[in-house]
Amino acid sequence: MEKMTSQYRWGMVVDLDRCTGCGACVVACQAENNVAICGKKEISEGRNMHWLRIERFWVGKYPDVRARFLPVLCQHCQDAPCEPVCPVYASYHNPDGLNGQVYNRCVGTRYCGNNCPYAVRVFNFYNHEWPKPLDNQLSPDMTVRTRGVMEKCTFCVQRIRRAKEDAKSENRAIRDGEIQPACAQTCPTDALVFGNMADPRSRVAILSRSPRRFRLLEHLGTHPSIYYLKGGGREHV
Amino acid sequence: MNKVRLIIGLAIVTVAIVAASVLLYILPLDVRDHSPVQPLRFSHKLHAGDNGIHCLFCHSYALKSPAAGIPSMEECRACHLFISPNAPEIKKLMKYWEKREPIPWVRVYSLPDFVYFPHMMHVRAKLPCAACHGEVATMERITRSASLKMGWCLNCHQKHKASIDCWTCHK
Repeated sequence: MEKMTSQYRWGMVVDLDRCTGCGACVVACQAENNVAICGKKEISEGRNMHWLRIERFWVGKYPDVRARFLPVLCQHCQDAPCEPVCPVYASYHNPDGLNGQVYNRCVGTRYCGNNCPYAVRVFNFYNHEWPKPLDNQLSPDMTVRTRGVMEKCTFCVQRIRRAKEDAKSENRAIRDGEIQPACAQTCPTDALVFGNMADPRSRVAILSRSPRRFRLLEHLGTHPSIYYLKGGGREHV
Repeated sequence: MNKVRLIIGLAIVTVAIVAASVLLYILPLDVRDHSPVQPLRFSHKLHAGDNGIHCLFCHSYALKSPAAGIPSMEECRACHLFISPNAPEIKKLMKYWEKREPIPWVRVYSLPDFVYFPHMMHVRAKLPCAACHGEVATMERITRSASLKMGWCLNCHQKHKASIDCWTCHK
């Protein structure tokens, strides 16, 4: 199933007890990754762009109703349903266990997006523009995706790449906590933790062994790299 | 009679399609100027060849950043205040300096937006600059000597056992 060719296997832990649903991660992701800005028209068509969304659930009965939040991003499955369906190998598995998407190779069949059970892949139905002065904040580390290309969360691969370069020139392995994707960096409650799952002593690996752990749609056998820690301890769910 | 015509017609169409594809494959699609005219007649042969100035003396960012960069005008001026300040090309340089305008160099080596190329990793791997940029020390005007195609990158990466993961270079 898995082929370990790298000393890293990137993964994430999302503590749902800590998540307040503030949406800072969504904004950070959009700013970091040149995710397009969509207007009313595209959103009403269900074609809005986001690599990370927060799902909201109402739990309990009136008057004891609570909102529960679930940040959903690409789960970077180890047996990813999106990969085998791509006719041009734009969606592929990286040695670090990341679920890659090569934008310049993508021809826009949207098979991957349709096969993703988490609905985290978004397709550029239109050419997007960044109205001035927002174009000044486009990151040069990321491609600006054109129309007809599928895109998705990369675990901020540009940051991983940079950390790898730093580590390589100092001839060491990447330290735990050295890489933070934009969402994890921004999270005010530290609900999102990123790290190397292959290192059993990393913070993310320790958290992923918590008895509260679960993975999204685990019964599908996709083996996601993101572990969620069950929240709502005070609630009767 | 009609059948024969149909067969001949189909044969012509097939031959035309095959010829067109062959032509498309053979023709050089890279029509960009390999050696564009620069605003100043800067000679790499004189600087890097005859005078033996190391590449990294002027392109110092290649050591520590993805972009090698071009030296600031201040750097050019610092030397040329003393070295042949009366040459016509140097006077042009000084005019740019007085007008407070950057020199509009024409880029010779450009990569598409979706490619990440870190100069520093290649310099740290002890790859000589000439491996990609050719014998710059013998060029009066910079000429692009590499195709900069993906296969060309991958050949070298495979030979040197560098990473060939897509996400190493594609962003």
